[in-house]
Amino acid sequence: MTQQTEQFTSRWGILLATIGMAVGTGNIWRFPRVAAANGGGSFIIAWLVFMVAWSVPLVMAEFALGKHTRRGPAGAVGHLIGRRFNWMGAFVGVCTCFIMFYYSVVTGWCLKYLVASVGSDLAGADTEAYWQAFTGPGIQPIVFHLIAMVIGCWIISRGVTRGIERTNRILVPVLFLLLAAAAVRALLLPGAIRGLGFLFTPDWGQLLSHKVWLEALSQSAWSVGAAWGLVMTYGVYLRKQDDFVLTSWTTGFADYSASLLAGIAVMCTVFAVLPEVDARAALGAGNEGLTFIWLPRLFERIPAGHLFLALFFVALSFAAMSSLIAMIELATRMAEDLGIPRRRAVPLVGVVGFLLGVPSAWKLGVFQNQDWVWGLGLMVSGLLVATAVMRFGPRRFREELINTPEERAPVGRWFDVVITYVVPFEFAALMTWWFYQSAANYDRENWWNPFHTYSVGTTLVQWGLLILLLLLLNRAWAARVGAREDRP
Amino acid sequence: MSVSGWVTMIVVLVGVWGGFGYLLARTVKRDRE
Repeated sequence: MTQQTEQFTSRWGILLATIGMAVGTGNIWRFPRVAAANGGGSFIIAWLVFMVAWSVPLVMAEFALGKHTRRGPAGAVGHLIGRRFNWMGAFVGVCTCFIMFYYSVVTGWCLKYLVASVGSDLAGADTEAYWQAFTGPGIQPIVFHLIAMVIGCWIISRGVTRGIERTNRILVPVLFLLLAAAAVRALLLPGAIRGLGFLFTPDWGQLLSHKVWLEALSQSAWSVGAAWGLVMTYGVYLRKQDDFVLTSWTTGFADYSASLLAGIAVMCTVFAVLPEVDARAALGAGNEGLTFIWLPRLFERIPAGHLFLALFFVALSFAAMSSLIAMIELATRMAEDLGIPRRRAVPLVGVVGFLLGVPSAWKLGVFQNQDWVWGLGLMVSGLLVATAVMRFGPRRFREELINTPEERAPVGRWFDVVITYVVPFEFAALMTWWFYQSAANYDRENWWNPFHTYSVGTTLVQWGLLILLLLLLNRAWAARVGAREDRP
Repeated sequence: MSVSGWVTMIVVLVGVWGGFGYLLARTVKRDRE
């Protein structure tokens, strides 16, 4: 195993890097439309609950795993609870690597639209035709995917301090300023209040709907970045004197704050410009439809819209890039843990990441399939991180790995309860819900078919193949990362 | 927007943004120590 040498230089640097990891495109393009479609204020109440009931405890667990073991997902779990279980951490890391392959494509889309909005390509264009021409089989999405990967790898090649820390010191504050500017601009539009009404007015009856709670849990789990292995990776670079409970809470609140700013900006713009029927159609057009087809049309209709559209895509690109570099660092850390020197690991991650992202860049169907399979895979990752803590002993984990002498905001017993009972229950509910969605709504006839985009079959087959591979490699992998002997 | 909408919005924004601001301030204070 390669020992890490670099560390974050300040608590502020750790915080900005972790916030950069958490705040991504999902805050901007998913939160507003999911909140609006699920009872507005009712959804937000449920969503707030899951900051405590899923996201922040898992972020703390990841920080503790990374800091204590000084290994990323490739070896942290094996080092904590024994080599027999090393595959569990490896699943967490590899799942996020699969997300990195297509997230780089998403980052490329954001960069393309940033260039297009600055260059006035979108002015007066048929935005739907523009989007379809761009994402249809062709070279452009691949080129922008390559650009995103090259920028990300260049940042990571500069190391933890000069790369991750310094970049996030710029990206994160600018991102928040841009989101705040977009929200203020949207609030000043005539009719913006209708958007606020849709976002915040609670439909109390919806609080009894399981759908609202499950959508809120999914949003929180995907948005904050808990159990992706990314925080575990950053945890490796904490100094001995750094505590992380305050950082975990701040990350959760920062992510939620960014979502609310984006929600205000998007909802007020949509409802100020469009009549209600069209506004609902825009919000129902999916992440890409809302962002790349509808928003350029809407910004065209508001004063100084060209400028604000460009700023919006700057914000989206910054959000995507700060998350992408965390994923590239995770993959690099895994390679380092497996004994590959960093100077070779970064280009290797870049080349593999680019090549395995090409299918998603080439065909939207592949992208959608991968987003479905590995997005749900993150729920499995959540369960695996919780299982590792349970195997070690939640109370012992909390007392020895979180509430260390340097920790100034110790965590109480609620952590044990959430990890032991709440997370497994949430996992079971989420899996049941999303598989039911596949079988009953997305692909009723072929829900079992592994070759269909949104089927249960494709999910189970891809997870199954990965788990099988990791189990076969477990012994060799665990030895390579220096996992400790199994406990009796 | 209804009264319940206004109340929810104010409570949520004050809670989340206020919480974020408070935690940020604590982080800055700790960094200076």
